[in-house]
Amino acid sequence: MNTKRVLAIFEKDIKDFFKNTSLIIMPIVPIFLAIFYNALFDDFIPLFTIFIIIGMVFAGVTSYCIMIMMAEEKEKNTLRTLMMSPASFLDIIVGKSLVATVMTVLTLLISLLILDFYHIFNIQTILGSVLSLLFFILLGIGIGLFAKSVATASVYIMPIIFIFGFSPMFDLFGLEEGHFVNVIFDNLPVSLLMHTSEDGSWMALILITIWVVVAYLFALFSYNKNKNDD
Amino acid sequence: MDYVININNLSKSYGNTQALKNITLQVPKGQIFGLLGPSGSGKTTMIKTLTGELKKTTGEIQVLSMAEEQLSTPNYKAKIGVLSDNSALYERLSIYDNLKLTCKLYDVSLNEIDTILEKVNLIDDKKKVVSKLSKGMKQRVMLARTLIHKPDLLFLDEPTSALDPGNVDKIHQILRELNEEGTTIFLSTHNMEEATNLCDCVGLLYKGIIQEMDHPDHLRYQHSTNQFEVETHDGELIKIENKPENSGQIEQLIASGRVKRMYTDDPTLGEVFLKVTGKDLGS
Ligand SMILES: Nc1ncnc2c1ncn2[C@@H]1O[C@H](COP(=O)(O)OP(=O)(O)OP(=O)(O)O)[C@@H](O)[C@H]1O
Ligand SMILES: [Mg+2]
Repeated sequence: MNTKRVLAIFEKDIKDFFKNTSLIIMPIVPIFLAIFYNALFDDFIPLFTIFIIIGMVFAGVTSYCIMIMMAEEKEKNTLRTLMMSPASFLDIIVGKSLVATVMTVLTLLISLLILDFYHIFNIQTILGSVLSLLFFILLGIGIGLFAKSVATASVYIMPIIFIFGFSPMFDLFGLEEGHFVNVIFDNLPVSLLMHTSEDGSWMALILITIWVVVAYLFALFSYNKNKNDD
Repeated sequence: MDYVININNLSKSYGNTQALKNITLQVPKGQIFGLLGPSGSGKTTMIKTLTGELKKTTGEIQVLSMAEEQLSTPNYKAKIGVLSDNSALYERLSIYDNLKLTCKLYDVSLNEIDTILEKVNLIDDKKKVVSKLSKGMKQRVMLARTLIHKPDLLFLDEPTSALDPGNVDKIHQILRELNEEGTTIFLSTHNMEEATNLCDCVGLLYKGIIQEMDHPDHLRYQHSTNQFEVETHDGELIKIENKPENSGQIEQLIASGRVKRMYTDDPTLGEVFLKVTGKDLGS
């Protein structure tokens, strides 16, 4: 990895981010939701609503941002020019991940300020958030490389936002304890992150790490699928 | 002799399709080499194998004294410039920002941006957003991007296809200047004028085989029927073989005052191609 090249890609992509309306709109959604919840609930804001916002940021900003950036480079063929330069694939991925990270952290911070929810963070939740960030970045890279165009990538992201982003909400569906749907959604990264906040669970942290490994394997699979022209 | 590209018996297949067959060719330093061939003849495949984007099936390749395994290294990539047939720019960014990225990736001073934009005649447009540029301007920006790190060897896959004659001339002029400064150029084209005007050596590529390879003028002379054609004022067409013993006949014709026009019948490269392959370049 070459820092100078990573930063060059970061600089290019962050400029491009602010000129791309389909990307710039994504951080606005959770921020508006934070403002709305803040007005709706006077002093006590239920934990799951906060984690829905966090889930929306991870799925809608982190994954979406990196996914669109990758898919667009592929579709428009600019990726080929990048690959023909001395930059390595890792330089490209890391540069883009930095953009996704900056936008995620900014959006989370603004939502945090609005909702005033610092208290939900213990050490496990902080570590879990970093791991979740990694998970959603890898997921975004995987889909971005897997999809043939920006249009198909945008379709794939919808279930991702609903399943991975909104997973804490499924508790509300009133299914009985232990129902398999509940078990699945309870073990998705954002739900696990919520558990770390509820009871400082280390087990949840380990499960998030497993999710990171799964996302990594998926990204690797998509990368290999893409690598060869013939 | 110092060869920049040295290919020996190269073949490349995609599954069952054999795209390149037993290609042997050498490109000396400082040459402009052109691959002339119709769609599907294997031009892009040839270029991609040389740029390290595709792996050959059999044969030997050496480019800039590097073996095939080294063609995917940053070291090799820093020494070549590639303009492919479907290259693109970042549409939302300005010309300057597009080139700035390239400078940083290749470790080139940002001062070079003005120099290169001067060369491709776009210096006054450098703040313009790419999406607002014409096709010819975009192609010149891409050429600038390909050249900014002063590559030793340039690969151009159909660099002027779908451009108007004015832009084609501009690009040819830039390429000639660059070549005079010492850059070796390997280009592909389906345009016979481009091959004739620009290249020191042309390979006629058809169905993955280089059918003939020589200086464009030599290719044309070789396939000339070696005849003078004389058109007279009364509409007669007289063909005279180009031999010393026929000089008297030509002199007589001129003296008689009947000659309206007189020309040799050297074929164009397109006609040579048709003769050699039985296939029209355009189709
Ligand atoms: N990725 C691929 N998979 C399978 N076959 C391919 C692939 N790329 C090219 N071919 C085949 O290889 C042959 C040569 O194709 P190539 O793209 O090199 O031609 P070309 O001369 O560049 O054509 P054009 O002028 O249309 O760009 C064609 O028969 C084509 O169908
Ligand atoms: Mg081609």
